[in-house]
Amino acid sequence: MNPTLVVLVLSSLAAAAAALGVLPLAARRTAPAVWFGWSNALAAGLMLGAAYALSEAGVEIAATPMAGGAVAGALLILWSHRASHTEELDLNRLGGGDADPVYGYQVLLVSFLHAASEGVAIGAAMAASLPLGVFLALVMAVHNVPEATVLSAVLASRGVTLPQAAALAVAVNGAQVLLAVATFAVVGAAPWLLPVTLGYAAGALVYLTLVELLPQSYRQAGATSIAVVTSLALGAMIALQGLLP
Amino acid sequence: MHPALTVFLYGAATAVSTGLGALPFALVRRISETTAAHANAVAAGLMLGASFGLAAEGTAHGAWQTFAGVNLGVVFILLTQRVLARHELSIGEVRGAGARRVLLMLVVMTVHSFAEGVAIGASFAGGMTLATLITVAIAVHNVPEGIAISAVLRPQGASIAACAGWSVFSSLPQPLMAVPAFLFVDAFRPALPYGVGFAAGAMVFMVFVELLPEALEHAGRAAVGLLVTLALVAMILFQAFL
Repeated sequence: MNPTLVVLVLSSLAAAAAALGVLPLAARRTAPAVWFGWSNALAAGLMLGAAYALSEAGVEIAATPMAGGAVAGALLILWSHRASHTEELDLNRLGGGDADPVYGYQVLLVSFLHAASEGVAIGAAMAASLPLGVFLALVMAVHNVPEATVLSAVLASRGVTLPQAAALAVAVNGAQVLLAVATFAVVGAAPWLLPVTLGYAAGALVYLTLVELLPQSYRQAGATSIAVVTSLALGAMIALQGLLP
Repeated sequence: MHPALTVFLYGAATAVSTGLGALPFALVRRISETTAAHANAVAAGLMLGASFGLAAEGTAHGAWQTFAGVNLGVVFILLTQRVLARHELSIGEVRGAGARRVLLMLVVMTVHSFAEGVAIGASFAGGMTLATLITVAIAVHNVPEGIAISAVLRPQGASIAACAGWSVFSSLPQPLMAVPAFLFVDAFRPALPYGVGFAAGAMVFMVFVELLPEALEHAGRAAVGLLVTLALVAMILFQAFL
């Protein structure tokens, strides 16, 4: 199969996995806050694990361009949050009569930036090697599920039906597919960009974990349970990365 | 000189170099709550980077053994936290939650040095010609670990000398473990992935349970995110060239 097609299929599957995120809400309409916390913590551990795999791959090729890319990745997200005034945005605000459309747009914009960075991660990993690419696509697929649980709970609390919430969660991750294919194509055309791009994705994922996932989760569940979930998810990712050929 | 003595002396030198991590804090006069939060964020990034390095070394010897070690490290710190929570602590002027964080940090960093000591000893067994190179690498790598320790101790009112002293103390297990690991390398080698996994798990857990919640409470998200990312990248770069 054409490698670009493989990237398209795998990143689409990862994006589609987000639809599974509504299932916990189908079981229980009003999700308790600790579910959010643990979902965010699980997503955080997986993100950091992905960043670990990307940085290891980048260091193996060229450490300094990797590091430069990582700094650029964190700074670009920082700048786009600042430019859109979403730096301290609470992404998990449940609706209670506030039908503020600005908040809805901000959540969608931030989710788009988040998914775009994940797409760069999949595309760069694919360009590095097929096993790493498949691994990253799988990690992102699993990671998209708890993330979509949080997003659809926010949407459901504003009267969005669950099928619509599932569709929106997948649609937001469309940025993942787009950026995965574009990154793969660009790095394929200019291979010297590979370590920079791997670093860029790693830096962006680490930064996003710290500013979006963890601050929310500490408020929703105690630090101890968050630390257990995040550490074990990260540990499992490290072990799986070690098993890659 | 007996090779084991050489290993011990080299290990001791690397332990002393950890104390250098306290020096940058001599330049900082007044430590506000925000500065302390920023220092915690830097410590968190350095410890995540160190854990990444240990994890890479562990998985090279056995991925599942490393994962088992990570789990043990998490459980160990959880239990230590429980024990510390039951006692009313005070270290010098520091009391309560601050004292618990300082003590936990020292336990984590000291325990992680045991695993590093084993790693040093086992790598020495690969041939004494590389010994100097490895020692210099470990010694330099200990400096940011001293920075991480001082970043947690200093805002709680510890003096520069105390920061340096405790940093050196946390690295003492390195020479102590390096010697038996060097002498009985075949017995220690299977334990290596468990050991480094344990060290990585303990440090990662400390980052998520103490350092990041503390940092996020007193500083903006963007500052914490940027400092952690920069420190992590610096540590990865550092390890790549040593």
